[in-house]
Formats: sequence, C-alpha cells, structure tokens
Amino acid sequence: MTGSILKHGIAIVRIVLGAIFLYAGVVKAGDTKAFAGSIEAYRLLPYFGNYLAASILPWVEIICGVLLVTGWRAKAGATVTILLNLVFIVAMASAVARGLEIDCGCFRQGAKDPPLLAIGRDILFLVMAGLVLLQDRLTANK
Amino acid sequence: MHNTLRGEAVNTGPKQAVLLEALIVLLLATVIGIGSNWKLLSNALSGNVMAKASSGAAQTAIPLPLGLMQVKELFDKKEAVIIDSRDRNTYAGGHIKGAISLPLMDADKLIPELGSSVPKNAMLVVYCSGYACEDSIELGKQLISAGYGTVYYFDGGFPAWRDARYPIAGGKQ
Repeated sequence: MTGSILKHGIAIVRIVLGAIFLYAGVVKAGDTKAFAGSIEAYRLLPYFGNYLAASILPWVEIICGVLLVTGWRAKAGATVTILLNLVFIVAMASAVARGLEIDCGCFRQGAKDPPLLAIGRDILFLVMAGLVLLQDRLTANK
Repeated sequence: MHNTLRGEAVNTGPKQAVLLEALIVLLLATVIGIGSNWKLLSNALSGNVMAKASSGAAQTAIPLPLGLMQVKELFDKKEAVIIDSRDRNTYAGGHIKGAISLPLMDADKLIPELGSSVPKNAMLVVYCSGYACEDSIELGKQLISAGYGTVYYFDGGFPAWRDARYPIAGGKQ
C-alpha cells in the first residue's frame, strides 16, 4: 500500500517537473535572442557562446520535459535535468558571489526572481529529479 | 497515460544505459537547437569574424541584447551612452533620462554628427519601443559599421524602463 502511494507520488512529481521544464523550454525557444541576453548577464561565456547556449538549452529542457511527462526514458530525462540544475545553481551562485544583479532567465524574460529564490527553486527541481531517478530503489522494499 | 501514472512506463535499465540515453538527449538537443537557430548563429559567428578581420578590436557586427537590469546598472554607473532610435515625436513624449535622440530614419545624417560628441570607444546602448521593435538592432548595426566597437541593444526598450519606474525625461512623468 505504501509502495503504491509512493509510486503514484513520484509519478506526479515526475509529470509536474516535466511540465515545468517543458514550459520553460518552450518560452525560451520562442525568443532565443532575449535568452542570449539573459545568459550574457551572467558574464560567463563569450559573445558567440551566449547565442550557442541560448539555442541549445531550451531544447534540452523541452526534450527532458517530454521524457518526464510521458515517462518514456524518464530516468535519462531526470539525469539531464539534474545536470542542468547543477549548472544553473553554479551559474547563479557565481553571479551572486560577483555581486551581479541579474534576471535569472529561468522562465519568462524580464521576470525579476530574487537569485536566492531561483537557487532554492533549482534545488527543489534537483530533489524532484532525484526522486524520479531513484524511484526503483525507493519503492523496492515497500 | 494510466500506465504512465502507475510508473510502469518508466525505464528501469542499468546505469550505463541511462547515461547513454542522457548523452543522446544532449546530442539531440544540440542538433535541434543549432538547426533551428542556424541563421542567428551564423550571424553571431560571422559578426565576430568580421570584427576581427576589420579592426582586430573586440567588435561585433550585430549588437548584443541587454536586459533591463544590465541597462540600469550601466545607467547608474554612467558607463554607457544611451541612444533612442525612435522618431523625434515619440522621443519627446518620453525617453530614458539622458538618452540621445538618434532616429533610425535619420541615421545616415546623424551618425557622423554623433562622432563629434561620442568617441568611438564609448559603450552604446540603443533602444526603441520594446521587444517587437527592430529599429534598435538596425541602428546598432549601423553604429557598428560606423566604427563604434561596443554596441548593445536594450531588448525591453522604453516600455520596460518606464514600467520599472526608472528615471525618464520628457512627456508626462
């Protein structure tokens, strides 16, 4: 019974996480130039690197979102999501450490999420993806 | 969908298979991302190449976008010359405080005049009426062609600046 509840709970977590990443990816893919500007604000990449990252990252989010929502190859989606969030957290923490007051570029461009809120949200996503990745282990003995 | 909710559709392969699939996800995203933005990336890349070929300085052929917060930071530190690319009447109705009016339609005449007051090594931020407005990008390109090495465009334009209640001049304040 507990195992069944846990499985359903993780499935819901997976679908919610996937939907969030799908949304974030679609919004960014629709305005690559603005997203390049958001990445530029972190001052981590060269000029062309900002455009390259802005072209690729939304599609990583979209594909991960689709995999998580559908459940097909969900562990691969969760693995990449973890990697992605680790990169986001390091980039945001580096911006905070350098005193940069920036829009995180997480979702809609121009949204003014405080950096610590953005980091906290990424940690939550990290935990959610971790649950999906460790689903078998968590439900094995239930 | 029912199966998905029950978690039965979730792949339970070994770790190596998951890592391989994750790698495929990244490769697929790279191919789609580069493929769907090919023209933009070509322009960005050729911009760098042209700048290096033309002067060897850190120039770009197309201006780089800046967000509201970055423009505000440059404004506060007085590190950039802000240029309004909208027409004179719109400028008179309200503009970023201290911005120079340089309408795109008069760029051919006004850019040479700008050279007497703004040195070529100055950082320029060009704006117009917001996200769907291309005038700032077009004027930015012309400024780069005229020899200005560091040119950005403010994507949000005047509406984003005004809505953030940052300093404006002209019009009803």
